[in-house]
Amino acid sequence: MEIKSSGITDVGLKREGNEDSYSIEDSLGLYIVADGMGGHLAGEIASKISVEMINKVFRKWIDKDAGDKEIFGQPDSSLSRKGNFILGGIRLANRVIYELALEKEEYHGMGTTVVVLLVTPSLVIAANVGDSRIYMVRDGEIERLSRDHSIVAEQVEMGMMTKEEAENSPLRHVLTRNLGSSEEVDPEIFEIEPANNDRFILCSDGLTDLVTDTELLNMSENEPDPGALCSNLIDIVLKRGAHDNATIISVDLTDIHKPKNGIFKNLGFFIEDMIISVKRNIKKIIH
Amino acid sequence: MARLILMFNKQVVKEYPLMKESVTIGRNEENTIHINNLAVSGYHARIDAAGNDFILTDLQSTNGTFINDKRVVSHKLSHGDNIIVGKHVILFVGTGAEAGEDKPAGPKTDLDRTMMLDTAKQKELLAKQKESTQVTEASGKIGVISFIEGADVGEVELKKKLTKIGKADTSEIRLSGLFMPATAATISRRPSGYVITTMGGKIKVNGEVLKDSVALKDFDTIEVGKVKFQFYQRETSEKQG
Repeated sequence: MEIKSSGITDVGLKREGNEDSYSIEDSLGLYIVADGMGGHLAGEIASKISVEMINKVFRKWIDKDAGDKEIFGQPDSSLSRKGNFILGGIRLANRVIYELALEKEEYHGMGTTVVVLLVTPSLVIAANVGDSRIYMVRDGEIERLSRDHSIVAEQVEMGMMTKEEAENSPLRHVLTRNLGSSEEVDPEIFEIEPANNDRFILCSDGLTDLVTDTELLNMSENEPDPGALCSNLIDIVLKRGAHDNATIISVDLTDIHKPKNGIFKNLGFFIEDMIISVKRNIKKIIH
Repeated sequence: MARLILMFNKQVVKEYPLMKESVTIGRNEENTIHINNLAVSGYHARIDAAGNDFILTDLQSTNGTFINDKRVVSHKLSHGDNIIVGKHVILFVGTGAEAGEDKPAGPKTDLDRTMMLDTAKQKELLAKQKESTQVTEASGKIGVISFIEGADVGEVELKKKLTKIGKADTSEIRLSGLFMPATAATISRRPSGYVITTMGGKIKVNGEVLKDSVALKDFDTIEVGKVKFQFYQRETSEKQG
């Protein structure tokens, strides 16, 4: 499997500081974007802690092939082992930010969103808390691999609000989950199989507030280079006012070896099909 | 117009417009905001309009009414207040203008800034409160595959985020067969629903050979070699992560 990746962050035009953090670790196949919140420097610190903590513990658990008892928190049986490493990493980062926010007055109320992508030749894992997103572009289509944890997103899911109403709602930036606001956190995690030419885009809401999913797909389809795509997207964000920090990572996968069907295998399928149909007909005659 | 948003377990349950008349909150069905939970008193609290403001009053409820982290008897609501009643949270949303006027000393409400619904204190409060026996929890759906012919398995719930189907020992659904690949196909649970992808096996969905992947709909039939099964989703009481 070949990976080509690129990332960029921009403070935008309205904010004084950049509260987003991100990391790219091609050797691990691990990519993270976090969007911090909280006054003074607290938001920046929360997002930085989440990125560093998840990277650190994921590497540690991979290196020692950690068992269920060695990772942080109760493992989730619906996930793969690596999925549980990411789950444990997010939970641990949450606990650290939560404790720090309780301890120090200047950190009170700090928090962060986080999106984590892990790519391996056999498995892609996407995890998120908050409203930062992961998109997958495959075969000319764009699909979200994250679920927004915001009041409006939940109302849209329940059919209580249309997407248009959600985009204009004064509540559009009110999160229902983040890292740092409570002792426990429940991340969204999805596991899928990778395919050749998959592209994954991780981003903070500084991008998605101003660029629609369809625009994102069109720009992605027209730009094969992940680095150029990231800078093109930032250009659009700046042109449209850039009211918030924006962070984008693009990860491209190629050379994934999927077993190909050779002539013998196809012959095998053909013979199997014949056997099945003969058996079915025999059954019909007997009944 | 001001609004109240009723939430349970961090999920939105319902939204109520807040007009000039009074709103009552409680377990009794006559209340405007009816919460069927034993932690909530029959008539728990009320909200009355007073000029441009809204005043919350606790109606001497058993478990009390909390604003953010403080137990209150009477309280003037400000934009963003979390009204905590038993295990439910009611978010008060003032109109944009009111939000600015209500808190002249506080920071100006910036709608573009991401903020978190305040649930940290709520959890601590709940821990102190006595456990309610009746909890109406939101239920989710889980995918199920039901075997029709070729394998004697019955029904299998798709409990994993990624289910592998094939001959390999590591498959969640193990199928035998002369030409069955180690992994013939996978079914992944995504934000949009369940998707089946071929991994080298000959898969048919509703009789059509699967080229790459397709979103599964209720009662789609899937054939993997000689094995035939149907996909559908059913309600689960288990909490979905």
